[in-house]
Amino acid sequence: MANPDPSWGAVRDRGPEPQASRLLEFEEQTAVGTLYLQALMRRQLRLSLTLAFIFVAYLFAQPLLSTWFPQWATVRVLGVPLPWLVLGVGSYPILIWLGSIYVRRAEEVDDEFTDLLS
Amino acid sequence: MSPSAAAVLGLLAMAGVSLGAGMFARRFAHTTSDFMVAARAVPPRLNAAAISGEYLSAASFLGVAGLVMQYGYDVLWYPVGYAAGYLLLLLFIAGPLRRFGAYTIPDFAEGRFDSPRFRQLAVGLVLVIGFFYALPQVEAAGITVETASGLPYWVGVAVVSVVVVAAVTGGGMRGITLVQSLQFAAKIFAISLPAFLLLLHFGGPGAAFARTAGDLARLPTKVSYTVARGEIWQLPARTEIRVSRPTPVEWTSQPAVRSPGAVTAEISGGAPGPGVAASGNRGVVVVSSRMAFPKGTLVFEAPGQVTLGAGEPAPFGAATPTSTNRAWADPFGPLAGGSGHSLLFTYSLILAILLGTIGLPHILVRFYTNPDARASRRTALLVLVLLGAFYIWPPVYGALGRALDPALYGSNLTDSVVLVLPSLLGGWLGQLLLAVVSAGAFAAFTSTLSGLLVSLAGALGHDLYGRWWRPAASASARRRAFQVAAVVAGAGAGGLGLLVGQFNISVLVGWAFAIAASSFFPLLVLGIWWPRLTTAGAAVGVAAGGLLSTLAIGTTMVATVVPPLELFLARQSGLAVVLEQPAIVTVPLAFLAMVGISWWRPGPPALAAAKMVQLHAPELLGLRRDYIPE
Repeated sequence: MANPDPSWGAVRDRGPEPQASRLLEFEEQTAVGTLYLQALMRRQLRLSLTLAFIFVAYLFAQPLLSTWFPQWATVRVLGVPLPWLVLGVGSYPILIWLGSIYVRRAEEVDDEFTDLLS
Repeated sequence: MSPSAAAVLGLLAMAGVSLGAGMFARRFAHTTSDFMVAARAVPPRLNAAAISGEYLSAASFLGVAGLVMQYGYDVLWYPVGYAAGYLLLLLFIAGPLRRFGAYTIPDFAEGRFDSPRFRQLAVGLVLVIGFFYALPQVEAAGITVETASGLPYWVGVAVVSVVVVAAVTGGGMRGITLVQSLQFAAKIFAISLPAFLLLLHFGGPGAAFARTAGDLARLPTKVSYTVARGEIWQLPARTEIRVSRPTPVEWTSQPAVRSPGAVTAEISGGAPGPGVAASGNRGVVVVSSRMAFPKGTLVFEAPGQVTLGAGEPAPFGAATPTSTNRAWADPFGPLAGGSGHSLLFTYSLILAILLGTIGLPHILVRFYTNPDARASRRTALLVLVLLGAFYIWPPVYGALGRALDPALYGSNLTDSVVLVLPSLLGGWLGQLLLAVVSAGAFAAFTSTLSGLLVSLAGALGHDLYGRWWRPAASASARRRAFQVAAVVAGAGAGGLGLLVGQFNISVLVGWAFAIAASSFFPLLVLGIWWPRLTTAGAAVGVAAGGLLSTLAIGTTMVATVVPPLELFLARQSGLAVVLEQPAIVTVPLAFLAMVGISWWRPGPPALAAAKMVQLHAPELLGLRRDYIPE
């Protein structure tokens, strides 16, 4: 990886030890190895939580909208009430979009991590 | 609906294809690994089709459309939640769990905490959730065969049980993967083609809503009902009924249905009067040829033929609250709005469906058939695409059903709306489409049932036999144990399926989701992402979430037959909502228990760190070990 994400910095700057020993350390869960893994997990988890939050917000906003602005149910698009379209049709492209972002980014994070250690 | 040769042909064709593919794949299944995880060599595309094929159960194929027809907009949370569960699975579970190399949730529970006793708890819950989920599939089989062919309920139950057991014991996971991917193709074709043609014929997606523009759902044509003694009709407005011979009926102004979960005929107050006065609230009368009744509830005291003219308001059977078209189409309709706590109900429902998917025992197993975490993630993404393509369609049937065939409300047949609507197209096309949807429905319950059976047989064969009874058993003995367990579980589900004739398909499924969301979901998420989670914390959390949600749901069930409890819950409407949809309380409680106890008594950190390496280190580093040896 030519230019890994800067947030690996904390781990990368831990010294000039040879690559093979980094992998060994990692496998034996020394303090440094644990640090590597925590950095990986934190990045993966942040990615997952962000994307999950976007979709949950999209879902949870709709009942609130129906409570505060019940009039939105009277809007029709192609004869179909707007709430039906937003929930029953619009949800799926958003799911697929978020999922594809995740797969691409998660693979990048894994690859950067592998490059770092090998 | 009358028996149809085309529908029977569709069912037989699907049964033949399923059995044939299972038998074909049998040649390739040799080892335990073949049987249980298809040798972990299934490419993402095939695997995604198989996962979707397995996931799209009778509740998705028949139940969602039926519920949309009954309750309208509020039901859309079900299909969206069913699909969105896979997003969460992709984001938090799919990759790490595949790396961990465990095969089932009990494997994970044991492997993550090195605790065989925790495994027993997990196996117990797998069996509970698995059977909760299997029963409605078996029930749907009986209903479909009954509707399509006119054969008795038990024939459908028996045929499906035999087909599924044969497919599972024949090819194990490897055979099932092929069968289920074929069944996915059958299902998406069967749900989308008739819906598309119906929309084309009746004038586009807005047509259904245009036809329900009036206040009440009115019968588009004259309809003849066959009513049984004691059958209940709710009349949403003044309705004129015609009978072929004198029929005694009882009328009351009271509504018959109080809440969506409870089906009760509530007739009370006043002495029986000689006739029905428009202002009175109760009375018994013999209808000699025709008579009009005001809004209220009608109970037939004798069996008979009842005819309603075109334009009469559609009567509602006892299973569904009456609703105006407006209430049906708007948010917080009869499903969520009935309780008086619409937001609480809706949020709790969303949580259960969203989080429950991850905890269903037959879902995770599938991800171990991937070669690695990368393939596992790509599979989950493809599943999202396939599910999205499917779940757009069931609500179309629900909306068209309300517009075109509201007579189904009176005969409590909304669950069969997907099977009924295609014949409205008439002629050979209608018959052909009827065969297609029948085949799709058959694919729906057999594929889910086979997946569940693999899980249940895995829990019984792999755990009870392979670990406790005969830990030293040879590989071939284990395989035989798996097959015997599949027969036992299939017979058990079939037998129970005969008993549960009258439960609503989606209600049973919803409960399985609520229990899974409150127990296995917190276990998996915290177990994978939080190194400090201890065995005690996880075990207490799983037990508390599982028990409390089961208790809450059990109370709701019991209340339908114990009037004092029902009356009490009717007054405590907030409590009633939480008992019916417990996820919003039980999921946070399970999380709190796990986190609290793990903080209170921390575990050894070195062990947890080793588990985190297994879960999160990319495969290329070469640190992975599989739980089941090849």
